[in-house]
Amino acid sequence: MCPPVTLKSLFDWLFPQRRNQMCKKQIWRHRRNTETLSIKQQGLCFKTRTNAEVIIFFIHLNFIRLNFNMFVTDIRKEFYDVVVNQRVALFVSPDIDALCACKVLQALFHCDQVQYTLVPVAGWQDLGTAFMEHKEQYQYFVLINCGANVDLLETLQPEEDSVFFICDTHRPVDVVNVYNDTQIKLLIKQDDDLGVPSYDDIFRDDEEDEEGDGDDSGNESDGSAEPSGKRRRYDEDALERRIERQRARREWEARRREILFDYEQYEFHGTSAALVMFELAWVMSKDTKDMLWWSVIGVTDQWVHDKIPHMKYVTDIATLQRHVSRHNHRNEDEENSLSIDCMRITFEYDLRLVLYQHWSLYESICNSCYTSCSFKLWSINGQKKLQEFLADMGLPLKQVRQKFNSMDMSIKENLREVIEESANKFSMKDIRVQTFAVNFGFKNRFLASDVVHAAAALLENVEKDEMPTDNFIKALDCLSRSNLERLHLGIDLAKKKLKAIQQTVASCICTNLILSQGPFLYCHLLEGTPDVKLFSKPLALTLLCKYLLKAFICSTRNKRCKILPLIMAAPLDVEKGTVIVLGIPPESETSDKKNFFGRAFEKAAESTSSRTLHDHFDTSVIELKMEDRGKFLDALITLLS
Amino acid sequence: MSLLTLRRNFFNVHVITTTKIYRENCLNEAKTEGKSELIPSIKFRHSCLLRNQRCIAAYLYDRLLRIRALRWEYGSVLPTTIRFHMCAEEMEWFNQYKKSLATYMRSIGGEEGLDITQDMKPPKSLYIEVRCLKDHGEFEIDDGTVILLKKNSQHFLPRWKCEQLIRQGVLEHVIS
Repeated sequence: MCPPVTLKSLFDWLFPQRRNQMCKKQIWRHRRNTETLSIKQQGLCFKTRTNAEVIIFFIHLNFIRLNFNMFVTDIRKEFYDVVVNQRVALFVSPDIDALCACKVLQALFHCDQVQYTLVPVAGWQDLGTAFMEHKEQYQYFVLINCGANVDLLETLQPEEDSVFFICDTHRPVDVVNVYNDTQIKLLIKQDDDLGVPSYDDIFRDDEEDEEGDGDDSGNESDGSAEPSGKRRRYDEDALERRIERQRARREWEARRREILFDYEQYEFHGTSAALVMFELAWVMSKDTKDMLWWSVIGVTDQWVHDKIPHMKYVTDIATLQRHVSRHNHRNEDEENSLSIDCMRITFEYDLRLVLYQHWSLYESICNSCYTSCSFKLWSINGQKKLQEFLADMGLPLKQVRQKFNSMDMSIKENLREVIEESANKFSMKDIRVQTFAVNFGFKNRFLASDVVHAAAALLENVEKDEMPTDNFIKALDCLSRSNLERLHLGIDLAKKKLKAIQQTVASCICTNLILSQGPFLYCHLLEGTPDVKLFSKPLALTLLCKYLLKAFICSTRNKRCKILPLIMAAPLDVEKGTVIVLGIPPESETSDKKNFFGRAFEKAAESTSSRTLHDHFDTSVIELKMEDRGKFLDALITLLS
Repeated sequence: MSLLTLRRNFFNVHVITTTKIYRENCLNEAKTEGKSELIPSIKFRHSCLLRNQRCIAAYLYDRLLRIRALRWEYGSVLPTTIRFHMCAEEMEWFNQYKKSLATYMRSIGGEEGLDITQDMKPPKSLYIEVRCLKDHGEFEIDDGTVILLKKNSQHFLPRWKCEQLIRQGVLEHVIS
């Protein structure tokens, strides 16, 4: 709910003398009661909030009418109540967050018997085709994790009465989508730092200018043979005015270009779509544990694939934690405790070892990015360090190498604390991370990241030659609790994928395949590399890229190279001779994950007229013809130096 | 339920064999006239004839049962591939069966009659989620809207419209 005037300025204007308390209130809200305020101060803070909030609420109502942009403020009224009696077409992009949002929305639609059609779309071309096929029959379209970062109306050319509801994490949202008030509604929370430029900075009525020019030129054009003195003066004035107007206009346009350039330069991700959908369900009191679990998976997917900074992940987890405790407090008493088969979601401060409960502890340590890079497991020294680590914890090798479920209970009991202690000695401070786990039945226990990896492996399965939509359906199925075999299959595929990533990283580091090209690092996977088919898919390639960059930073001594971003190329289609190219921002502790490669790739492709395909919804992933690789890279180097 | 082409060749062969056997029987009978040596062979041939007759009757009856089941599976109009496998008499029988079923359905359930070929299992909900297994093109539902059934798209449709397609294998009911 963000009107053009910011909340803070409004607040200050309303309560100038209470500025101190307002600051305290903000601190209080952000530090979550760990700071002790005196009761009186707390009371004052609270009171300020209540009074101010009521007033603000009413003022907001007025401001909303002045809102030119189409961020949906009341998602229930402006989205759900509109579509509940209509037939809807859902276009869903192939990532796990979108799948989870789709499941939540499907569950809501089943409740209210909203007829819908679900179409998976893999890229802009697919979206266009799907739209063409369905535009005759549907008026309302819901786009999940696609469509926000490009001018949608121009791409799709819809009819006047088509309405699009976009729930997308891609930022920056295209300004045309933001300021369209009839056909496009954005289901995006406005407290994400969107930084949308104001309306007047970008759009402007051109009519006055043209009229003015028309008048002047009209006057000039019917000049007679001998203009009188008066007329000459009038002409001069008109000429001056026109020059002044043109200059102002050029200035405005220059500033507009600058503003748009700054706004669209960096690509990043906002709040998870699954979380937005879950909050819609919560507002309507139709949320269930299944929906909560899907929104947990959505947020965890953003963290696993490194789309959001750590702070945002922690904030989102805190929000989810509130919902989880709300759901768990329903059946607290001893007599009516839930049966073991019921689904239970618990908050965990668990290890950052990928799939460790479905694998052996040893394999998990070897194949998790964090531990592998800290130990440098591609080198012999690294292997020795790992053995020391295990010895330090007192875990016998035989135990550690067998399946986790078969390990001795005495070892499993305090495993997390034991590992954390030893990890601290080996300078791995963040071996534990906040996450959630689900339990249903005695055998079934999954961490959120387990499900994310399984679903991603199913989504990008290259083992059989299946269409991407087949994989989409399989991945969608594995999220339901009744399809456990599919989930286990996904976990097996994920294990293979992680092993392949680990081996590729080890070989790249050992053979020095990562080259520094000046403003960025570059790595090209050759065709004969084992498992290279796995990396023709964007999610798998992203994981490999992040892992490789972290590993490179740990293994290189060159300080300058540690702050460079990485571009990776892998073969996509051998017959057509194309490669998939992906760029990730530099690795740092406090990175805000803003990626400038989208724009950079576009510009480089334009300037060298390379044959590229910018089909993915993430603009930092493109397809390129093999032959154009050289000149494309050169253009990038010049662009980014 | 699959229905293969009526094995006419088989019948022809059978008819020929039957006639042969029968003629031999007649010959033998003519020869007998009081002697009882050839009687067992006559009895044997006769029982062969009866046995063949039983097998054929069973085969034809089984085909009829399958054709009857087709009415419940596919509705009143059979796909051309199946009609190709049926002979004219079977088609005739099928039409008669359709007529008698229709008369029965009209007679029960008040004025409009009751379509008992729908909802073979008790329905749990008005709308079901279905997934498209093959490209089927456009599909019209009751209020005139047309849905494009493309492979791997999922739809949430009224149950009664989907039943036929589910039985035909175009759609698959998704239970989550």
